[in-house]
Amino acid sequence: MGEKMATRKEKMGFAFKRFRGFWKQFKRSKRGVTGVGIVVFFTCLAIFAPLISPYEAIDPQVGREKYPYFGPVTGRKIAGSLCKPTWYKYVPWVPRGQVKLEERFYNLIIKEYGLEFQLFGREGEENATDIVLRLTKRVATVESITAMFPNGTSRDLLPDEWKLDPMRPREISIVKRYPDGTRFTVTYLTGTDVVENIEIVPDHTFTSSESFDYWTWQTTHPELVSVNYNSEKGYHNDGCIEISYNPTGTLGEKANVTLSRRFEYPYMEPPRSFFIHYSICVEGSPDSEVIMNIMFYKETETEPELFPLIAIPKQPGPYSHDGITSIRPEVIQNVKCSPATDRIFATAGNYTFSVQIIFPEEKNVKVYLDNLDCVIYGNAFGILGTDNAEPFPRDLFSSIVYGTRVSLIVGVLSALFSTLIGLFLGLVSGYVGGIVDEGIMRFADLLLVLPTLPLFIVLIVALQQVAGFVSIWNIIIIITFFGWMSFARSVRSMVLSLRERAFVEAAKAAGAGKLHIINRHILPNVFALVYVTLATSVPGAIILEASLSWLGLGDPRVPSWGKILYDFNASGTAVAMGLTEYWFWIFPACICIALLATAFILMGYALDEILNPRLRERR
Amino acid sequence: MGLRGFIAKRLVYMLILIWAVITINFLIFSMLPGNPMEAYVAGLKKLDEERYNELKKHFGLDKPLHEQYILSLRNMLTFNLGISFRSGTQVSDEIFQRRLPNTLLLMGVSTVTSIIVGMLIGVIVAYKRGSLLDTGMVTVSLATYSVPIFFIGWIIIFIFAIQLGWFPTGGTVPPTWGRLPPTNIIETITGRLSHIILPAFTLFLFGFGGWILLTRACILETITEDYVLTARAKGLKERTILYKHVLKNAALPLVTNVALSFAFMVSGAIITETLFSYDGMGLLTWKALTPPALPVLQSIFYILALCVIFANFIADLLYGVLDPRVKYG
Repeated sequence: MGEKMATRKEKMGFAFKRFRGFWKQFKRSKRGVTGVGIVVFFTCLAIFAPLISPYEAIDPQVGREKYPYFGPVTGRKIAGSLCKPTWYKYVPWVPRGQVKLEERFYNLIIKEYGLEFQLFGREGEENATDIVLRLTKRVATVESITAMFPNGTSRDLLPDEWKLDPMRPREISIVKRYPDGTRFTVTYLTGTDVVENIEIVPDHTFTSSESFDYWTWQTTHPELVSVNYNSEKGYHNDGCIEISYNPTGTLGEKANVTLSRRFEYPYMEPPRSFFIHYSICVEGSPDSEVIMNIMFYKETETEPELFPLIAIPKQPGPYSHDGITSIRPEVIQNVKCSPATDRIFATAGNYTFSVQIIFPEEKNVKVYLDNLDCVIYGNAFGILGTDNAEPFPRDLFSSIVYGTRVSLIVGVLSALFSTLIGLFLGLVSGYVGGIVDEGIMRFADLLLVLPTLPLFIVLIVALQQVAGFVSIWNIIIIITFFGWMSFARSVRSMVLSLRERAFVEAAKAAGAGKLHIINRHILPNVFALVYVTLATSVPGAIILEASLSWLGLGDPRVPSWGKILYDFNASGTAVAMGLTEYWFWIFPACICIALLATAFILMGYALDEILNPRLRERR
Repeated sequence: MGLRGFIAKRLVYMLILIWAVITINFLIFSMLPGNPMEAYVAGLKKLDEERYNELKKHFGLDKPLHEQYILSLRNMLTFNLGISFRSGTQVSDEIFQRRLPNTLLLMGVSTVTSIIVGMLIGVIVAYKRGSLLDTGMVTVSLATYSVPIFFIGWIIIFIFAIQLGWFPTGGTVPPTWGRLPPTNIIETITGRLSHIILPAFTLFLFGFGGWILLTRACILETITEDYVLTARAKGLKERTILYKHVLKNAALPLVTNVALSFAFMVSGAIITETLFSYDGMGLLTWKALTPPALPVLQSIFYILALCVIFANFIADLLYGVLDPRVKYG
């Protein structure tokens, strides 16, 4: 037997040769090569997603388990929500530096309990609830405030008719009362910039002694206080800063020690928020309390400007954890401004983050500091910015890279399955004929007539009711089940004509069985069509999956391109402003969907040109 | 069998399709493991007792399955679609008086224009096959074919509504109409037109690429036939050959596709309407998704499927009338 049949190696050789010949033809089609190139590119993205994308796609956090205050497995967010891309700083027409802004407000007089209140609302927004004009940006200088009265006259307000509290640089209070419906236009100068995140502490868990060297420290009593690196006493025994205080005799004054880290804040605009985390443990006799102060300093020409954030007493005991975030004003007792960052980082300059420990009692005390972190969140992040997920905004670039996987898997698998089903049913229907044929074709007709998207919506929502969620496998199955009909039809018609050809007749005469004829004589002739259909039905599946996710009917646990777009839709910013301001949220994902779909169509078209020679002759 | 018999046969076929759609609807909602409709209605019990009882009665959930099926057949055929949770009105009233006419208008405008423009370009491109125009147009239509419709819509909103400001970004009628309705017919038409143009244009772009490709393929199919050669040999003008001899024969498969494309356009319309907040079936779908309102979604699917089936029926009749070769029967 082995002599006549080609060996496995030879067979592979033939296959390889055939493929080379095919590729030679394929290379001639520019469209086909472009398509293949794009598909290969996206496949690489999908395979190497964990290497390419810097963050997780669904629930990205930095330093999981390293921020015990937030929980045992939680980390901190990677960036603020709705950040713009960092490369905006290289774009010449993005305004940076001082800009003039104009904002409009209306006022509303409300009478309650015999009292009159004047409320202000932003024009275009629903409700007036503020007692001040709340501007979107911090004011550097107010140029003018114009009031337009209901009777049509207007005038500029005099400087004594409004007030800008230096502690609240976003709020202008109007001193006088104006008639109901008066409109105010505020023109002011403000700083605007592309602010990136600043991580002030390089290694906040103090895993090595070098991490301690980043810090500088000074004390009022160098002979009594010492600050060292301790490699064992940290939270989870991984190293920390140890401060020991050994008073001798009576001192008569409170000793203190300040750990500080200097950094530069180079931006014209205040950051969105900042975040501080610390774990502290005090060792000593029960009444040896210490006081912990956390603050920012700003260097100025004369005296440094001080921004105290928190001052808390700490009793001896095990590690306790706490965090300060500028979006939780109740924690920031001493920062009176909201958002707090307005005052602190009002201008560019050199700042110092410092932690001060005060020893009110003259007792031997050891203080351990660990997980001491301070991050400033700007308004720009990553290659494509972030979305609005709370509390952990997602990096859009990572979402897109991981989304490639879903689109490719759903597209290719459902195309593959539906083509196979179509092939099988078409073969059966064409070759067997009779009542089977009639049944299959009528069923196909029925499915073809049904409007796809509404049916899918109904199916998926029904599944959601029962199972709670839809997985991408459900979606693949659904797309497959409603995708085989037109291919089955064309296979059937092809089989019908092939069945009558002479070579099939000959095979029949030679006594070949039905299966043999299908396998050996009909299938090879149909297969050209299979490749083309495979390629051309992938885009449909990709777009269908994206459309379903766009409507919020996708698998919520996997990051797909459509889900990014749904988040945009559901965020409420979708209309008008959203598109211009947050184009980077939707357009990259849209372009990816379109590119991938186009690539498969181009491939299919090129295959069709090669495998369907009739078309080639005509052109 | 004559024309009457042909129509009767198609009519019976249409009725069977309608029955199948109702059955599919019933199967999805009552036969899926866990019974979605029961789960949905049970979920309502905590929120709204009265509503729960009403729905239970409407779907006959306390009766055996076969009675439920007959009830659903009767409800669907008489368009007794239940009462809307939100507005308290009959769902069928809302659909037939407001939503469906809007959707049909939108789809009608865009389908007709996309067919006409697509076919015209398709003919020209097929005639000049192999030229730069041909390659360009084929690539463009392949691209529009593969660009998701929400992307087209967003680009159109971005360009025409935001950057140029020519048309409103969304809505069905100008928002001021709520307070002061239009007084004359011109105002009514311009007001509605300005809101329908962008979604219709989006749907048009969504559909016309397919028509170019299809027309081109059909024409290429017929252009090499012998009778075209004969016509050429007779010395007929190229234009006459193209439009009288080629297009007439190539148009037949196109007619069947009109109905099928209707089903395709329905999917596009759902997304376009959501995108432009256009008050049609699509927006109703979007609103019925959060929180999911199964009965509304079921009704939407049923009505849209009815429209498509009816369109198919018309196309079948047209095909029969247009093509003398079709033997009735």
